[in-house]
Amino acid sequence: MAHKISSLSKGYVVFLLPGVFAFLLLIVFPFLANIGLSFTKWSGIGKPIWIGLANYDKAMGDSSFWASFKNNLLLIVAMTIIPTIIGLFLATFLFDYIVDKFGQGVSSFFRAGFYLPQIIPLVVAAIVWRWIYQPNWGALNGLLKSLGLDSLTRAWLGDHSTAMYAVMGMMVWFQIGYPLVIFMAALQRVDPELYEAAALDGASWLQKFFYITIHLIRPEIYVVVLTTAIHALKIFAPIYAMTRGGPGKATIVASYFSYQNFFERSNVGYGATIATVLTIIIILLTTVFIIVQTRREQ
Amino acid sequence: MLTKRWIATFVAVVAILSLLAACAPTPAAPTVAPPPTEAPTKAPAETPTQAPTAPPAEKRVFKVWHYEVGYAMGDSWADALEDFKATHPDVEVVFEEKTFEQIMETARMILSSADVPDAMEINKGNATAGLYSKEGLLTDLTEVAKERGWDQIMSPSIQTTCRYDEKGIMGSGKLYGVTTYGEFVMVYYNKDMFEEYGVEVPTSLEEFEAVCDKFVAEGITPLTLGALEMWPQTHNWQELLLYKADRDLITNYQLLQGEVDFHGPAFTFAAEKFAEHVQKGYYGPNANAVGYVDANAAFFQGKVPMNLTGSWAFGEFMKQIKDFDWGMFLMPGKKFNTGSGGNLWIVPQNAKNKDLAYDYIDLALAKKAQTVMANAGGIALNADVSQVTDPKVRELNELFATIVKNDGLAFYPDWPVPGYLDILGGCLQELIAGTKSPTEFNDCIAGPYNEYKASLE
Amino acid sequence: MVNRSLIVNGTVKSISLIALITLLLIMVSPFAIITFNAFKTEDELYAHGPLSLPQSLNFKNLRETWARVDYTTKLWNSLVISTAVAFLAIGVSLFNAYALGIGRVKGKAFLLVFFILAITLPQEVLAYPLYYFFKSVGLYNTRLAVILVFTVLHASYGTYLLTSVFSVFTRELIDAAMIDGCNKMQLLFRIVVPLSMPSLSVLFVFFFIWTWNEFFLPLVFLVSNAKQTVPLAAAVFQTQHETLLTPQSASAFLGVLPCIIFFILFQRTLTKGITVGAIK
Repeated sequence: MAHKISSLSKGYVVFLLPGVFAFLLLIVFPFLANIGLSFTKWSGIGKPIWIGLANYDKAMGDSSFWASFKNNLLLIVAMTIIPTIIGLFLATFLFDYIVDKFGQGVSSFFRAGFYLPQIIPLVVAAIVWRWIYQPNWGALNGLLKSLGLDSLTRAWLGDHSTAMYAVMGMMVWFQIGYPLVIFMAALQRVDPELYEAAALDGASWLQKFFYITIHLIRPEIYVVVLTTAIHALKIFAPIYAMTRGGPGKATIVASYFSYQNFFERSNVGYGATIATVLTIIIILLTTVFIIVQTRREQ
Repeated sequence: MLTKRWIATFVAVVAILSLLAACAPTPAAPTVAPPPTEAPTKAPAETPTQAPTAPPAEKRVFKVWHYEVGYAMGDSWADALEDFKATHPDVEVVFEEKTFEQIMETARMILSSADVPDAMEINKGNATAGLYSKEGLLTDLTEVAKERGWDQIMSPSIQTTCRYDEKGIMGSGKLYGVTTYGEFVMVYYNKDMFEEYGVEVPTSLEEFEAVCDKFVAEGITPLTLGALEMWPQTHNWQELLLYKADRDLITNYQLLQGEVDFHGPAFTFAAEKFAEHVQKGYYGPNANAVGYVDANAAFFQGKVPMNLTGSWAFGEFMKQIKDFDWGMFLMPGKKFNTGSGGNLWIVPQNAKNKDLAYDYIDLALAKKAQTVMANAGGIALNADVSQVTDPKVRELNELFATIVKNDGLAFYPDWPVPGYLDILGGCLQELIAGTKSPTEFNDCIAGPYNEYKASLE
Repeated sequence: MVNRSLIVNGTVKSISLIALITLLLIMVSPFAIITFNAFKTEDELYAHGPLSLPQSLNFKNLRETWARVDYTTKLWNSLVISTAVAFLAIGVSLFNAYALGIGRVKGKAFLLVFFILAITLPQEVLAYPLYYFFKSVGLYNTRLAVILVFTVLHASYGTYLLTSVFSVFTRELIDAAMIDGCNKMQLLFRIVVPLSMPSLSVLFVFFFIWTWNEFFLPLVFLVSNAKQTVPLAAAVFQTQHETLLTPQSASAFLGVLPCIIFFILFQRTLTKGITVGAIK
């Protein structure tokens, strides 16, 4: 008996070996190489030239760089906060109410429909949303006009006061399906007897929602919040495909700024610096988040 | 039970897929180059059978890439490729259609690897060709060009963008690329609309503005502009700059030498004029939100009478415009015009079959392929004029020839600095939106330019 | 009393359904737009703009675009890469999460952060170093390189998700297994995997779709046309001087269609996962 217990309580390290090896090789070493590059001046070919901390000095004082972060924060609203909240309510609604009243098939149908935007390559999504936002014949302005709301029409992607919000709109559309699917999978783990017991005790729907549902699927909620926030901080494709950071610099984000330096301006050293600073910020955020999450589970 | 089956399936699938991915021969790239006429519905590309090599004589493979499929250049190069196949029956030809983006972003990586083609198209300019030549990634073609007569076909001003010095600056030095066409910017206009509103082709900037004012007064946007994409407006802006620029300014600007005063008379004029045109409504209220494709569509549909863009689109315009009569004119009343030799054919330093590449370039520059280019709406360097049928195409080539004769080619404003296209385009978006004044705009574009120039020392 | 609550229930039912349908229509309208445009002729597109219904089903545009980008090859490449990554990434995540979530290996928080590092990195960071690495081992311009990179990137996410899920499995479960005389592999495959099947199914769908839609790293590592994937093909018509709407529309449609088909097929697998997951 003692022998069997001990064989199951330790010796799991071996399961980590393939993962750790692959990560070291393909992630950690390139990341270290990138840090090394950030101390150089390099155009992408030939020899890098060591310049010490000069790139970091420049980055700290670079207003475009820090301004771009503001857009990343806006995208956290659009990609983390809004979709998670909507996703929670929609998932519970579909999982409980719709399944009860209309059956599993209808619920799955809606889930598939809401997830559909996640399937599309962002490059393609950008094409379509450009058509939607087109000021002269686009769907959005067309809809507003047909509702008699002419005064609300805008040059969505061309006006620097609306451009970022237009991008955010597309990202909310894109992102809702992801928390929805995860939460619906999570809800399957919840024992229905808990709800019955709570109902017997006189709990309202809202109480059941907060004390049972949210409490029990909190692992998935953590995952969704953290991963969408990281995604928002790293976001690149929609900016690349829809606005290229314009009008002017209205929609530049940190990752796109770094890309411009890497690939367009052949400023690989500086691009590496921006990417390193961005990564450090993300790592700090992640570490704090995970420590909090791990502590709460114990 | 269930789990054992899962494991087995899992392992089997992974093993098979990894093997497939790593070892299976990939289907060979199609050797189809689209025919020069309008693309009819064609069967999916044939895959040449991969015969196991028993005979000792290895079949040579000629790899060639470009990204102009569907344009006049692409048609002409496809024709040259067919000629190549006919004259080199023992060579297997592998053509791959690329994208502009892919080459722009990854050319450095590709050229430094072993997977290089024998001949490929790259963009001209310091930021691309200049950079690659500086790092030794391109074959020096100076001698070959002399031997085969390429330097006779390309005039000196065309060769400006083919030669790069040791610092990677264009204009002088060894010949690293060959261009087979020219390009320039002009105003396409709707003749029917001009007649309807009683305006004539302008012969000066003032007349041009009067034409625009007339259209604005009638409630019509005079010029279409896809400013969302950042690069179209750089042409409109430079055309205005050229009214006050001289050859020295252009040379200094392009070659990053001497003094370029972004607050001098030429740049001040350009910024203020451009802002003035925006305010007078010449580009309509939403230019920043409209894409290039949409801007052209508005012109095709006869909604907007003028479209300032390049000769690269001429072939498409020829195919798309059916409902009205159209023509072209240069922005009137100046010597210089945005334009240059076309994109470059280069032979990578790591290429395995350089002689085949040279043969191909010969064919691309030969009269036959060049005439194909002209007839498809391109600006050829060596076409047989008597074979050019369409009068508009003749007009196009004549316009270009005139500019070259007057030494008027002023190149493109984004060349001097890598990544300058988005900078210039972005600053212009702000000028259009009114969030930057002309002076602020000039600051906006001066900063990065001077920074890059300083970093070269 | 009963009648009124029935009516209220009926109204609430209808309203909720209508609200859902409206929301759904908004979500899928872009797909409708892409589909309509793919079947229009050039003239239709220019005459009525991209937001009108097609007059008829016109396949010419699609056929030409299919041939021009050699779509069959691109489909196969995407399929091979996405499927391989989906399976491999689940495998790696499973092993990692098993050690961290069930085995409670020492330094769990630190190791979690180590694995999450992969998804904190912007992809530009990986481009140049991995280019040199793959070139040196002869994997530049191979699909295997892309498979390896995305396996690791997605396993990062999978490790995090599964560790979170496994961590809340109760101790009674493990004790029960010990009493039954399980070893570690049996515990993993006989108990843990079936219990987490809904999560694993979701991961499979995610990994497949995310890999399929990747653009940047495949652009960097896959040079030959014969190795490229569907999104890269869709990007052919986004070139700087592209003047026409029709190829753009066709390539958008072709770029989206395979994933829709995949999702419709695997929707059912996701649903089946329900019956297997109950904790007993």
